[in-house]
Amino acid sequence: MQEHRTQGGPDSADPIIEARNVCVTYDLEHRDAMVLDDVSIDLRRGEILGVVGESGSGKSMLANAMMDAVEEPGITTGEVTYYPEDGGEPVDVLDLPTEELKEFRWEEVSMVFQGALSSFNPTMSIRGHFEETLAAHDYDVEAGMERARQLLGDLYLDPDRVLDSYAHELSGGMSQRALIALSLVLEPQVLLMDEPTAALDLLMQRSILSLLADIKAKYDLTILFITHDLPLVAGLADRLAILYAFELAEVGTATQIAHDSKHPYTRALLQAVPNLDAPTDSMRPIEGTAPNPAHVPDGCHYAPRCPLATRECHEETPPWVDVEDDHRSACFHSDEAEDAVPFDLSEVSDA
Amino acid sequence: MSYVLKRIAQSVLTVYVVISASFGLVRLLPGGPLDYLRAQAVQQGGSDLSMSEINARIAAQTNIAVNEPIYVQYADYMAAMLQGDFGVSTRYGDPVMSIIGPAIPWTVFLTATALFLAFTVGVSLGAFMAYKEGSSFDVASTGVGLVLNSTPGYVLALLFISYLGYRMELFPTGGRYASELTVGFNASFLGSVLYHGALPIASMALVGFGGWALSMRGNSIRVLGEDYLRVARLRGLSTRRIAMRYVARNAILPMYTGLMIAIGTVFGGAVIIENIFAYPGVGFYLIQGINARDYPLMMGGFIIITIAMVVGITVADLTYGVLDPRAKGGGSRESY
Amino acid sequence: MSRTDRDGDSGETPGSEADFEAVGDALGTPEQFTDEGRDPGPAPISGHARNGRVAADGGSSSVSEFQQMADVSMTDAERRRQWIDEKLLAPARIVWSDWRARTGVLVVVSYVLMATVGLAIVTEPSPNQGGYLVGAFRTLEYPLGTTASGVSLLSQTVYATPSMLTMIASGAVFTVCLGTAFGTIAGYKGGTVDRVLMIVTDIMMTIPGLPLTIVLASALQIDGNPVIIGILITINAWAGLARAIRSQVLTLRDAEYVEASRIMGMETSTIISGDIIPNLMPYITMNFVQQARAVIFGSVGLYFLGVLPYTSVNWGVMMNAAVNRAGATSSPAAFHWLLVPMVTIIILALGLTLLAQGADRIFNPRVRARHAETVASDGDDDATTGEI
Ligand code: SF4
Repeated sequence: MQEHRTQGGPDSADPIIEARNVCVTYDLEHRDAMVLDDVSIDLRRGEILGVVGESGSGKSMLANAMMDAVEEPGITTGEVTYYPEDGGEPVDVLDLPTEELKEFRWEEVSMVFQGALSSFNPTMSIRGHFEETLAAHDYDVEAGMERARQLLGDLYLDPDRVLDSYAHELSGGMSQRALIALSLVLEPQVLLMDEPTAALDLLMQRSILSLLADIKAKYDLTILFITHDLPLVAGLADRLAILYAFELAEVGTATQIAHDSKHPYTRALLQAVPNLDAPTDSMRPIEGTAPNPAHVPDGCHYAPRCPLATRECHEETPPWVDVEDDHRSACFHSDEAEDAVPFDLSEVSDA
Repeated sequence: MSYVLKRIAQSVLTVYVVISASFGLVRLLPGGPLDYLRAQAVQQGGSDLSMSEINARIAAQTNIAVNEPIYVQYADYMAAMLQGDFGVSTRYGDPVMSIIGPAIPWTVFLTATALFLAFTVGVSLGAFMAYKEGSSFDVASTGVGLVLNSTPGYVLALLFISYLGYRMELFPTGGRYASELTVGFNASFLGSVLYHGALPIASMALVGFGGWALSMRGNSIRVLGEDYLRVARLRGLSTRRIAMRYVARNAILPMYTGLMIAIGTVFGGAVIIENIFAYPGVGFYLIQGINARDYPLMMGGFIIITIAMVVGITVADLTYGVLDPRAKGGGSRESY
Repeated sequence: MSRTDRDGDSGETPGSEADFEAVGDALGTPEQFTDEGRDPGPAPISGHARNGRVAADGGSSSVSEFQQMADVSMTDAERRRQWIDEKLLAPARIVWSDWRARTGVLVVVSYVLMATVGLAIVTEPSPNQGGYLVGAFRTLEYPLGTTASGVSLLSQTVYATPSMLTMIASGAVFTVCLGTAFGTIAGYKGGTVDRVLMIVTDIMMTIPGLPLTIVLASALQIDGNPVIIGILITINAWAGLARAIRSQVLTLRDAEYVEASRIMGMETSTIISGDIIPNLMPYITMNFVQQARAVIFGSVGLYFLGVLPYTSVNWGVMMNAAVNRAGATSSPAAFHWLLVPMVTIIILALGLTLLAQGADRIFNPRVRARHAETVASDGDDDATTGEI
């Protein structure tokens, strides 16, 4: 691990969750497989941070690690610190005792999963999910249900109808919104969203995103939005973090990433998108495949596919380069990236 | 509500079809039951019986008045059946209902107890196996489950009756209760009932629970991997609630079709088991009827068993409709 | 009953709704990552319980969302080859790799040998072949002992096999054909056809099978032809299968390739036999095995009761004779007479159960993915061909 990665806050400002050198490993047939490799990033209070990566890049792991929810037999190491509002004691998330971790999850940091339908117990009404969550956290159920109604209403759902339904009776968009409401019922500060719109059609995706912006403002949320869909999140997020093969490649503001990316991988992603508004399906593939977690290449993980790769790239882990304020790129050749991987910005219209 | 009505209508239709089919079998087949009964009547009554006397006798036995037009025969037959009049046994000379009626509770007792035991034990065991997945307990139970699942109930019954019944004389080898006891709610009578029912029930339950355990194990393992279970844990629900409302419920409900089939299997199996243990239930009389070519008794037994099964399945079905919200939505229920 | 496991029906959809990426997309199974030159090694997740869906999604995880287009470009020949590999070879490999299925196959094969070669080796059963009620394993001549009339039990058992196997096969074939026909037509056609067929099916399902068989056998006065008896035993067993098949068809009906055939104006019958049935084949196979077991249980049970006609001695008739002629349940001297046919059917049933268990694994996409490696590595793929 390199020094410069561990020092200070790589993203400064007022963090609400600070992740430092977070690794997630699995012991596979006596071979460690690293599915999140030394990731350090801050989630700043009140922002929407978009985390973009291909499927299998470890982006969900990042979200899971932030609430210590990596499933057995995965092992999470590193540090995750949560800073409560109004300067309360910082919380060492990975070290929380079971009982406190239970409270921390959902009351402070909550999560929305992809595939809302499968996130609900098929044999329990939506109301049951709200009530049991409130009860499990010793909240006042009546007041909590009032808030649930409010939340559902804010998400343009008919509260009574939805509460009395079962997941299978709701459309994809409806159940996804109900799941968002469920994740907010205990008034958390942070919402981690793991591909929350992947299963929905384009129109529904867009409308949920705009709802999300409203909800965030109204309930004072910080959101981590995970997706494989760079164009989708570019318009929504304040900042973007690009993950490739279990490690961070580039972090910057949405504009910086979309217009001035200094990492060959990010640029390849952007190149693959003809238009930021175009559906993901029409994207061109990037040559090659992502590496297997059990056989991560030495040096820069992207090196085998990178047009700029040199020997150095294959042998050493690239250092973080601060290319601009708030914009860092993990690449030996970040200054050459722009010329080597061009993409036509004229069609790109981001937020 | 309409779901309940539909379900009940379906059951009534089934019973109606079965009774009509029994009429068809008895009445219409050439060289079939009716001819046989006629020959039997002639044989028993001697040659001095007139044709009309024979017909009257057949009419009493089967509720079919052969000299009427066929649709009248059918209407009379159905009407009699609906009133619980299944004709007169040619072997015993008593009304079929008076023979089979008292036997019904006994068969229901055997089958329901066996099914209940097999199901509850199997499901608990299966859940435990899933919880201990991969352990030697799991492997051993899976093995035992497989072997029991491959053993027909009557094989077990024969082993039981010869070892525990005849050789070790631990259990009775026939009857429903010790004949000297007074029937009623007293301890010695109920004890005797359980004592006599133990082996028949055990032979039906033991071959069944392996199958339940295996499917429960598989289902639980599947549910344990479901997203909603993970979300439930993150939401901080108690282990108990997760085990009951999430795992158990979602693992048991898909076994519903299996339960329907099991009801059929257990009723079918009871016919054989009752005969092995000389246990006077409906199945016992059904076979008596067959062996004596006593068509009224046989048809009555068959119809009664069918009605019992239809009731069982309807109850199971309606309960399922209450337990699984997806059932009423239509269609999706039969996926398993 | 193990059928119940099979609801991962979305498992094979390419790029299907993603799993919790959690363990899943990061781990997948190694061979799915087409990183050439490295040995694939066995699948890593041993506690598969933890994440069923991951496994169910297996195949898709190697193909990143950025590459999905590649799937479209397969030629017909490739598709066919892949189909054969996936639907026939891979299952065969799976069956053989699993000890349960392997044992099952061996048991069934040995019974078939018994019914064919066995007849040439073992002498025909006849009265007074040997002493009366010789116990099992006492003499080499009558290894399984003899009956009360001195018939060799081994001979009797072996000579009963052909008719038993015929009966089993006819019952299973009857059930599977009728069940598949009803199920596919109802599921594919939908509407009124579906409703009517399902009402018929539901009625059949609620009639107790064995009592129905007994009554029909008695009322119809049929003879003991094993083919007919086999059908009679399973007279309403097809109904359960039809229901299960129907729900499978319902999910298949909307699959893209079926849709395509429909748009191309193909006949319903062509679609059913060309697109739908092949996809149900593994499932049907498994049911065939289960039905076979049901026929054994039913037929032996009813022969034991003595309520079915027969032309030659079979295992159930042997049991009946043991109990009724020698009181085998109460007399230890005759017990082997009862035990021999019982063990014979248990072994066969166990073999069939194991076979069904093995066949069940074919439906487990996780197991399937592990064996589908030829599909992935055979191709000329430069990492763009994901297996389905
Ligand atoms: S460090 Fe080297 S291999 Fe990695 S992205 Fe930069 S140029 Fe490419």
